[in-house]
Amino acid sequence: MKLFLLLLTFFIAASVTTAQTKKVFPYPYKTSDLPNGLRVVTVPTDFPNLVSLYIVVGAGSRNEIEKGKSGYAHFFEHLMFRGSENFAPGRFDEIMQKAGASSNAYTDDDRTVYHETFAKEDLDEIMKLEADRFQRLKFSEEQFKTEAGAVLGEYNKNSASPTFKMYEVLRETAFTDHTYSHTTMGYIADIQDYPNQYEYAWTFFKRFYRPENTTIIVTGDINEAQVLEMVKKYFSDWKKGDYKTTITAEKPQDAPRSKHIEWASPTLPYVSVAYRAPAFSETEKDAAALDLLSGIVFGENSELYQKLVLQEQKAVWVSPSFDNKIDPELFSVWAQVKDEKDLNYVRDEIIKTYMKFTKELIPQKQLDETRSRQRYGFVMGMDSNDAIAGTLARFVSLRRSPDTIDKVFALYDSITPQDIKMYAEKYFKDTNQTVITLATKKGGAK
Amino acid sequence: MNFKFLAVILLLAVSMPVFAQKNMKIASVLQPSKSPIVTFRIQFLTGSASDPKGKEGLADLTSTMLAQGGSQKMSYDDIVGKFYPMAAGFGSQVDKEMTTFVGQIHNDKRAEYYEIIRQMLLEPGFREDDFKRIKDNQMDFLKTNLRQSNDEELGKERLYNIIYAGTPYEHHSVGTISSLEKLTIQDVKDFYAKNYTQAKLVIGMSGGFDTQFTAQMNKDFAKLPKGIMPKSKRTFSLNLSTSQLSEGIKIDIVQRETRATAISMGFPISVMRGDKDFPALALVASYFGQHRSSSSYLYGRIREVRGLNYGDYAYIEYFPRGMFQFEPDANLARKSQIFQMWIRPVEPQNANFTLRAALYEYDKLIKKGIDQKTFDETRAFLMKYVNILTQTKDAELGYALDSRYYGIDNYNQYMKTALSKLTLADVNAAIKKHLTSSKMRVVMITKDAEGLKKEIIDNKTGTISYASPKPADILAEDKIIGTFPIAVKAADVTITPVDKVFQ
Repeated sequence: MKLFLLLLTFFIAASVTTAQTKKVFPYPYKTSDLPNGLRVVTVPTDFPNLVSLYIVVGAGSRNEIEKGKSGYAHFFEHLMFRGSENFAPGRFDEIMQKAGASSNAYTDDDRTVYHETFAKEDLDEIMKLEADRFQRLKFSEEQFKTEAGAVLGEYNKNSASPTFKMYEVLRETAFTDHTYSHTTMGYIADIQDYPNQYEYAWTFFKRFYRPENTTIIVTGDINEAQVLEMVKKYFSDWKKGDYKTTITAEKPQDAPRSKHIEWASPTLPYVSVAYRAPAFSETEKDAAALDLLSGIVFGENSELYQKLVLQEQKAVWVSPSFDNKIDPELFSVWAQVKDEKDLNYVRDEIIKTYMKFTKELIPQKQLDETRSRQRYGFVMGMDSNDAIAGTLARFVSLRRSPDTIDKVFALYDSITPQDIKMYAEKYFKDTNQTVITLATKKGGAK
Repeated sequence: MNFKFLAVILLLAVSMPVFAQKNMKIASVLQPSKSPIVTFRIQFLTGSASDPKGKEGLADLTSTMLAQGGSQKMSYDDIVGKFYPMAAGFGSQVDKEMTTFVGQIHNDKRAEYYEIIRQMLLEPGFREDDFKRIKDNQMDFLKTNLRQSNDEELGKERLYNIIYAGTPYEHHSVGTISSLEKLTIQDVKDFYAKNYTQAKLVIGMSGGFDTQFTAQMNKDFAKLPKGIMPKSKRTFSLNLSTSQLSEGIKIDIVQRETRATAISMGFPISVMRGDKDFPALALVASYFGQHRSSSSYLYGRIREVRGLNYGDYAYIEYFPRGMFQFEPDANLARKSQIFQMWIRPVEPQNANFTLRAALYEYDKLIKKGIDQKTFDETRAFLMKYVNILTQTKDAELGYALDSRYYGIDNYNQYMKTALSKLTLADVNAAIKKHLTSSKMRVVMITKDAEGLKKEIIDNKTGTISYASPKPADILAEDKIIGTFPIAVKAADVTITPVDKVFQ
């Protein structure tokens, strides 16, 4: 009997594997929708004893359309930990503690994600807790004002880093109309005014914390049917909303832009060269092509990296940055430079490299190697329930379905060297460019 | 003498060592599983505590030359090129007592990957261009990364410099700028030859590898010199006990151009994993300051109630880069640890108050200990939280290597068993015995160092202004905190310009 079961398990495992060798996401999953629009994604895994719960809200700094409200989505994320009708402040921590949980949240341009990993036996209680704060959040003005202090503290601890400032300046220089012109952290002036904005918190909550705007992801040692029942039990009464964010589209750029930042304390210089870039898509090739280009042309294996970092040793590091975003944002390349006298040289080498690939084709071999790298990298990143849920959260915030992952990888498979050159030419133009540099203030730095 | 007989004797004398020689058994920690990913943690039990005097940073520099430099046959460019399609990488982590080389690879590519890292570790290139690049990076890390773009990490590392002054644990593993400047490639070669031995090696691996593979690895690594077995960690040959430090509180204010004031404080303890009181102190540290958790008591009083900063935590084991991660890296096991409080940056006008608040809470902890409710809740948390510390295969392997070093069982089992037997009385006794210290060291990072020093020396009342009215009990406590004595002599409040730190 034991042998039979063993063989059966083997055959099932083998057939599951076979069915999935074409898929990149290595786990089976189910997606269910409640009548109020709330979506649930469940992924059973073989990482035992633990469950990861991720709740993804489609609200980020992109949704901050009113003046003086930059960083509010992030501030609101903090406020979500300040208590709810049936769970007094402090109860959240007690429950998480009892569950031995690692719990946190983060905000990005396009999403806010609440997440925790805990012992599987505590799922019901945590689901109940989450349902209460998402539907019946409650905190006093005093608590609100205190939390504003913590957000100011967060800004303060980030402010020591030059790249934090550079990113703020890059975004406000590259964008003037779209809400991507400010960062998720927000401007210090707005943060300092938060204590006066208690009423707006409830406006924000009513607008964005709605079931049609939210996806619940559960991974780990779970029974999918039980999880769905739990969600229905606690979240069915959540009322649908109707708010739609209207974001001003960014006007086309008509000339290159640049800013130089003088840093008050000694620092190695930095440069960032960015271009307006395409938004995420499951069907159009633009972003996928640039994604493949970024690793090849600006990654550690690239000619530019080897030249600037390894051979000439003029840069400490060079790194591309290009994220999946709901709206068109930026493709940028950053470098930390060893000596200020080489700052312009490094900037020019980066620009030359961008231009090179608007004219030259990437060799097929490199393209194939990059696709291989992406697939292996993706699988290797799934090393815990938390990592699996975290990866899903990023994609689910774009198209609300894990199917997106395989669609994107299929898109990567379809890209040719000619595609890459075409899209490089389309996006890497002078008129799309913003350059930010940063160096120690002359004469005044201590 | 019969010539033939002599010849035989001589022949025997030469050949005897060969016949008598036994192969040294290389230590290993193996965790085979069905995972498609293979994780390598190849460890040498040598770290920055082995840096020769005047050559601080040599262990780290050497390991980086191996992990981020070319082998004899392949340049680093070539290696990066080969890693690329496999989405592979190879890194090293150096701490005081151990150097760990870490890499992960999909099992499909294991053989190809292993061949490259084998070369990197066993046939290193020690190339001049790699040396220059890496040495520059090490110096830049100290000069600009630690000194100038991360006040929190700066405060923590400076605290370690101060507490361990005059011992092999004093300097940051990366070294000092003046010692790094003088290091040569010959120094690196010498360090490698002396320390990269079979005796110090522990091969850690997890994932879908087979016994044939481990046999091959053992054969390859047997080419290293044999070396001398390291002493058991229980002999405190480094003399890192609390008697090193002089009595009293000492405060070092590092001056640099910065928006906010960062605070770190602590003192050495003599408890590590495997010691009777470790689980008790782990419980205390979790209650008092669970890392980046809102359940941290300090967080509750300083951030939650008063909105002073982004967070406040406490530790009994070294946890670098804490702001970037939720769980500590493994393989930072040491022969000596400190109790540490990490107070995240505050607005400068609140620094005096916050410093007193931290000392006030610490004082309360050692005077009153914890109550039954706190004990029960924190224990319940830790019994489950240990699963999170080891939730990835990589972490599981790392913890297994550390358990081997400390001489304990599987960490999760060790903690769960010990915690289940622990009593409230044990914990409060451990607080009295190990955390009651008269040798607190404090590091603060701020712009107006003179102003802050004056506030402390003049015993200026710590004040705080709130954006909204606070309950009476908080205001009453604020009064106590504001005048909480900092028993520090004026001469023991020093100001250090940031460019002297790690110099």
